[in-house]
Amino acid sequence: MEAMLYEMLPLWVSLFPIFMSVVIFAVSKRSEKMRNGLSIGTAVVTFFSVAAMYPSIAGGGVIEYTIFNILPGLGVSIRLDILSFSLAVLASFVWMLVSIYSIDYMSHEHGGDRYYPILIFTLGSCLGIFMAGDFFTLFIFFELMSLISYVLVIHEETPAALRAGYKYLIMTIIGGLALFFAIIITFELSGTVSLSAGTLITEPGTLPFLAFLSFLIGFGMKAGMFPLHVWLPDAHPVAPSPASALLSGIMLKTGAYGLLRVLFQVFNIPLIQEARWDLMLGILAVITIILGSAVAITQEDLKRRLAYSSVGQMGYVILGMALLTERALVGDVFHIFSHAIMKSTLFLAAGAIIWKTGLRNVNDLKGIGKQMPVTMGAFTVAALAMIGIPPLNGFLSKWTLSLGALEAGLPIYVVVLLISSLLNGLYYLPIIIAAFFGGEEHEHGHGHEHGHEEKEFALNVDEASYGMIIPVAILGLSCLVFGLMPGNVAFELSIKAAHFLITMGTP
Amino acid sequence: METIENLINNYYYFVAMVLFVIGFHTMLTHSNLIKKVIGMNIMDTSIFLFFVAIGYVHDGRAPIFLNGVEDHAYVHPLPSALILTGIVVAVSVTAYALSLIVKLYEHYGTVDADEIALIRSREDS
Amino acid sequence: MSNHIPVLIIVLVLGASFSIPLVARWRKTLIFPAAVTPLAISFGLSLYLFYLVGQQGAFSYHLGEWEPPWGIELYVDYLGAYMIMVLSSISLPVLVFASRDIHHDIREEVVSWYYTLYLLLIGSMMGIALTNDLFNLFVFVEISAIAACGIISIKEDRKCIEASFKYLILSALGSGCVLLAVAMIYMITGYLNFDYVAATMTEALSLYPYNILIALSLLIVGFGVKSALFPLHVWLPDAHSSAPSPSSAVLSGLVIKIYAVALVKMLFRVFPTAIYEVVPVLDIVLFLSVLAVVFGSIFAMVQDDIKRMLAYSSIAQIGYVFMGIGLFGDRALVGGLLHIFNHAMMKAMLFLAAGMIIYATGIRRIKDLKGIGVRMPLTMAAFTIGAFAMVGIPGTSGFISKWFLALGALDLGRPFYVAIILLSSLLNGIYYFPIVVNAFFGSKIEPHPEHKDVPASMLIPILLLAAGVIFFGFFPGPLLDLLEQAISF
Repeated sequence: MEAMLYEMLPLWVSLFPIFMSVVIFAVSKRSEKMRNGLSIGTAVVTFFSVAAMYPSIAGGGVIEYTIFNILPGLGVSIRLDILSFSLAVLASFVWMLVSIYSIDYMSHEHGGDRYYPILIFTLGSCLGIFMAGDFFTLFIFFELMSLISYVLVIHEETPAALRAGYKYLIMTIIGGLALFFAIIITFELSGTVSLSAGTLITEPGTLPFLAFLSFLIGFGMKAGMFPLHVWLPDAHPVAPSPASALLSGIMLKTGAYGLLRVLFQVFNIPLIQEARWDLMLGILAVITIILGSAVAITQEDLKRRLAYSSVGQMGYVILGMALLTERALVGDVFHIFSHAIMKSTLFLAAGAIIWKTGLRNVNDLKGIGKQMPVTMGAFTVAALAMIGIPPLNGFLSKWTLSLGALEAGLPIYVVVLLISSLLNGLYYLPIIIAAFFGGEEHEHGHGHEHGHEEKEFALNVDEASYGMIIPVAILGLSCLVFGLMPGNVAFELSIKAAHFLITMGTP
Repeated sequence: METIENLINNYYYFVAMVLFVIGFHTMLTHSNLIKKVIGMNIMDTSIFLFFVAIGYVHDGRAPIFLNGVEDHAYVHPLPSALILTGIVVAVSVTAYALSLIVKLYEHYGTVDADEIALIRSREDS
Repeated sequence: MSNHIPVLIIVLVLGASFSIPLVARWRKTLIFPAAVTPLAISFGLSLYLFYLVGQQGAFSYHLGEWEPPWGIELYVDYLGAYMIMVLSSISLPVLVFASRDIHHDIREEVVSWYYTLYLLLIGSMMGIALTNDLFNLFVFVEISAIAACGIISIKEDRKCIEASFKYLILSALGSGCVLLAVAMIYMITGYLNFDYVAATMTEALSLYPYNILIALSLLIVGFGVKSALFPLHVWLPDAHSSAPSPSSAVLSGLVIKIYAVALVKMLFRVFPTAIYEVVPVLDIVLFLSVLAVVFGSIFAMVQDDIKRMLAYSSIAQIGYVFMGIGLFGDRALVGGLLHIFNHAMMKAMLFLAAGMIIYATGIRRIKDLKGIGVRMPLTMAAFTIGAFAMVGIPGTSGFISKWFLALGALDLGRPFYVAIILLSSLLNGIYYFPIVVNAFFGSKIEPHPEHKDVPASMLIPILLLAAGVIFFGFFPGPLLDLLEQAISF
């Protein structure tokens, strides 16, 4: 009985939110409070359900089963292993916090009736991607998630949002079709697309190369890899900030997850090295890193800057994959964790600032630190983590990646990592410094002597409400906790996941 | 030389083909709608001719038995029977096409396809 | 009794079509039941046919108990039973829709004649699906041609009459070519029955290669005109867009497909398949299908009127069917044949949804469709499902047929066609998704005093078809099994 319960959990964590999203939609017409309550409740229950799956895979066990077959050789199946678990627990954790944050953020926005069901639905489909046992199921949930999150992107329904959404939609379709191409070639060559069947393509050739390229296009587009990242800087800023946090924090990672599965379970390490695809990946990763970080410096809109930063950071993830060593993979998976947490913190904090002040331009945010200390504090911690300051989690992931690069005999990548850290500093530090130590000369109002000039923010705002601060603070603290601290759960998971991937990918 | 001999021997088929092409051409190129219908009829008739000619046996008689089967060549009756059906079909299509032309004339005042297109484009703009 | 089922299906529908005007004289309210009942019965019988074919294999029925080659034979195999099922299952919801929708398009006096023409069309198409005789095929083809033009021109507005006339002329051209091909085949084999022709064709091939070639080309041109294979599609946009919506649904969904099936029957059962290795006929078909798929979508993108866009989309989609034929692999052919059913369901639903929008709001231009999703959420939800199915999102039936087509192309080592399929899916998305997006997001439509409410009798067929699209996206198994047996010619 207990075993059956554990077996049903993977299915439950992806279907329960999808089911609840319909319930939430139905309820939203009646009562706003119930809608909000149900949304948070669903996210919390999902998180704990995901966490409950840990015993199943703790010792390296794998749960896999097929639900039904649509076509011979092609069906819907579930697979839970350490990698799926890691990403699932990350996703549900962040989603839970974002839902709590959304309550206050969306209280002043329109379209809440549409937002909450779609938020929860996307959670379900995202977890479905991680729980998928074969590429076909992954593809179904992937398309589902991409198409439904379109509604989140265009939520504001301004012309800019619709334009960004259109670009997002076209690229999603292109990516989806590329995935279709890749999956069908894989199916043709190996007769199955299951993740439990060992290496699927073992010989290099034209068709395998086409498959690899298409997988790269499909998943890379989602992950924001150059040159398919063009949708990202438009789509992430126009979405409401909690949605931006999820888009940048988690949904990009589904692309990375797909790529990991492709590299280590469709192909294997010797094949990739033989066909020099790792070089191709590496070059693309380097370009993505440099491009993302460099262009971010030129951006004045806060959310756009964060979006380009995401592009650069996902480049790290791809770089880790290109290195193909165990330590690099540890850094890779850990960076997925770290970036998710860091970027969510940043977007949620930015969202709080924008919500309170209505300002998005970086130059206008001087002195806000004094009036919104907790928010800016979390922002600072996350930004420092992005730059890679010890003992934060960003530093740990970069350190591990660098060690992995050295291990693989490619010290050039270490140089790239250092350069990008420098660039990261160039666009994060000014914000932080200006926030705390900037501000206009301003005649302070009543209660102080005249002539006593303090530097402070132009407007008079208070700190964000508790519903928004608490998630931001928790995420910001996570940057610290999951850094160079003992009992780093995320790091432990990364080590296990990396080991698992290497084992799968070595014949 | 042999080709000409073949053509003369099979002049039914040859004429049928010529008529087919004439009908086909008329249907497609003439702008007067009634001429299109006439072209359709010519084309259909040519095919009927072709079909019936297949059944013709040289020096054959009509396949009617008065006093039992006689030792004589009979023309194959099947194509003729089929073509009766075909003629009926062609007639009904012609009737339908002509009724459509009547309606078009009511609407547009002309039976010329080019003029109708001109009137249409003037209205649409 | 069970022996007579094949002809019973056809006779039932044809007989009902002739009796409708009499019923109309007697009592107007009985027209609709009198029309729907035979279709429903034939749908049930088609499922029984599947059972029969599964039990005893393909069987023949001799009309009037005259043995071939003297008599007309109906041959019921999996393909025939499949097509009967497709025809009856799709025409039923469309007829239900039509019972409500047709009244605002055509005059009251001719409403009963609409049912007559409709049933005549369906009945003759069923005849095409089952017949095993060349001339019988021709007769049914002609009946369906007139009936098809009939259900367009019954609307009596100038665009309809003109479109219908163009369709008639070009259709007559096609029929002429088909008849000439039949004449050629008769000339060299002396038989009109498919099986007998196939038996003598192999030796005739060595004697009269040119005749066979001409017959083949004429058949492809003839059936190509009728099923709107590019570049012989020029009649389709006008005809399908100006017709009343249920007519468009049947025309786009069923009529153009049945001619493709007739072509399949002729190509693979009558002519020896060895011929295709020598003559690049199938390659030509494949090439034209690629053009159809690409250009149909490109033309659809620039259309203003929603029904015209759907019509051009049909041109692209029938290209998929021909691609399956042209590739001539097992899985490709299964994909193409499956696409017949899938597209029939999708396109019928899309046309009915467009018809619903036109019925309720009178809007036909795509630009004016902003915010309509708020007013008519269920209709637009069905339209969205149709759009997803057209693009080939997994979970919809459109994905399954594209998957099989792509697999079939890969089986033959021609990944280029997979790229074409994917490119066309992208193009499909480019013109379908903006409609869906505009319908739900963007500005709102103000309630217009003339906007009518959405009646249930029109909504239920649309939702039924939409449910079918999703259902067959997840459970295509039975269909695929029987199609795999259907193509064992």
